[in-house]
Amino acid sequence: MRAILLENVTKKFGDFTAVDGLSFHVDEGEIFGLLGPNGAGKTTTIKMITGLLRPTSGRIEVLGIDVTKETMRVKERLGWVSSEVILDDDLTAMQNLWIQAKLYGVKNWRERAENLLRFFGLEGFKNSKVKGFSTGMRKKLEIAMALLHSPEIILMDEPTVGLDVVSRKAVWEVITRVNKELKVTILLTTHYLEEADSLCNRIVIINRGKKVVEGTPEELKSRYAYDVIELESAVPLKLHGWDVIYSDGNKYRIKVKDAASVLPSLIMEVGPQNLRKVSVKRASLDSVFISLTGLSLEEAGGIDERKLQMILRRARR
Amino acid sequence: MSLRSMDQLLALYYREVTKVYLSIFTLVVTIVQPLIWIVFFGSSLSGLPSFFLESYFHTNNYLSFLLPGELSVSSISMGMMASMSLVQDKRLGYLKRVMVSPTRNYVIFLAKVLGGATRGLIQVPILLVAGYLMGAQIAFSAYLFLWVTAVFLVSMGFSSIYFMFNTTSADWQRPGLIMNLITMPLMFSSTALFPKEFFPWWLKLISDVNPLTYLAELGRLALIQGAFDWTSFIALMGFAAFFLALGAVVAEYKLTPE
Repeated sequence: MRAILLENVTKKFGDFTAVDGLSFHVDEGEIFGLLGPNGAGKTTTIKMITGLLRPTSGRIEVLGIDVTKETMRVKERLGWVSSEVILDDDLTAMQNLWIQAKLYGVKNWRERAENLLRFFGLEGFKNSKVKGFSTGMRKKLEIAMALLHSPEIILMDEPTVGLDVVSRKAVWEVITRVNKELKVTILLTTHYLEEADSLCNRIVIINRGKKVVEGTPEELKSRYAYDVIELESAVPLKLHGWDVIYSDGNKYRIKVKDAASVLPSLIMEVGPQNLRKVSVKRASLDSVFISLTGLSLEEAGGIDERKLQMILRRARR
Repeated sequence: MSLRSMDQLLALYYREVTKVYLSIFTLVVTIVQPLIWIVFFGSSLSGLPSFFLESYFHTNNYLSFLLPGELSVSSISMGMMASMSLVQDKRLGYLKRVMVSPTRNYVIFLAKVLGGATRGLIQVPILLVAGYLMGAQIAFSAYLFLWVTAVFLVSMGFSSIYFMFNTTSADWQRPGLIMNLITMPLMFSSTALFPKEFFPWWLKLISDVNPLTYLAELGRLALIQGAFDWTSFIALMGFAAFFLALGAVVAEYKLTPE
């Protein structure tokens, strides 16, 4: 049985199509990555799976249950970690967990809550108000809350957005441990390619609500990851016989299999005196995205500054 | 309502109510605000000749007349807190957390409305004691408790109205605007502050369908005379029940997480 199944799912907001005929599935036990720039439709997709939004058309199943028809049954079996940190600051960690337990009807909640706090190294803070928690601690508490009712699947929307490098690594470790030790299927969204690369068994890349490509990180890298040479020239260049995937004024991006071996001949061909700058992006998930769409993730969406600031502000309060 | 929903309601209601007690400032202001009302407004007319008070307010003590009216006004405006708290939860994302869980929307609605009405209720005992100390007549009888019940129910009814205005919106300006829009005209078109004998005919008409009039009059009957009017009580229960039911249905189908 598939943990999550999306079939030709479309979501429209008025004239705007946020998700456009999206199909993919998540197998039980895996960490699956939904990757794309901001505005690609990742959060909308997550919201449809949780039942917060209804798809305009298409079909979504969670553990074989139709989300639109039996929303409540699906909600019982899903855990959810938001991209913003959503906790009640005025309450303690345990009080937050208590409310969560009551909402999900968890029987032996105190024991479970204490185990989870221990699992995440937060047992010393169980009676502290969340107000004083660092962003990393808040994220861990949120994940603990998502796990409280023993869901089979957890949806994580941008779990590391707004975190510093150290906390991000810590959250990655937590995600891997939750998946391996607690046997929870995880669907996460991210716009960090390295995150998807290091965490996920399989990923689907989406852009503007449409699926671009799907596969394991290794598959995608070997099939689509080309080295990308970026040239900035002093004069317009004629690049016959080269695979130019993007050009803008004096800027060119060329897709090659192995940059190291072709770079000398490329430079000789256009003439070193015509070049201002040469840079090489080695094959990575980043270059998969570039070679498929011509744009880097930042260019396709950019980091949503407003949203990021909002998250940071909230986290500081 | 299932046992599960009761549990969810209890947790969400607990969260609403702790907010009041956690903040000393909120608690103090909640209590002081109506006290200022009765001290200032109650004193403003207290020096009138007693024959005038007798003939106009049917009591020689304006405070006795005002106290039930002010308590009624105050507890319906506290119902605004239901919609403020709803907007806050939408803005901070908390409502998403609740709506992702298997909690029915009407449970969320009830928790907010009960929370709002409870805030209003906190004022009742304090004000009764303060009014008593200041010389208002208070007849202690079972009717007093029935009247307080009515205040609580009507407050829930108004909370439902405030809530409905923010079902699909997260606009923080709305709760205050709506409260002023509803409370002011209701207060002045009711007999909460003045008797209706000398109202113009059209204001009398409005006053006669204004739930606040019935709540204030019922309070006067209970507090000053130790009597009761069951018809008014049942009408007020009907008012509360209607808007509670309407609010629950609207929340169930229309509530948006942000």
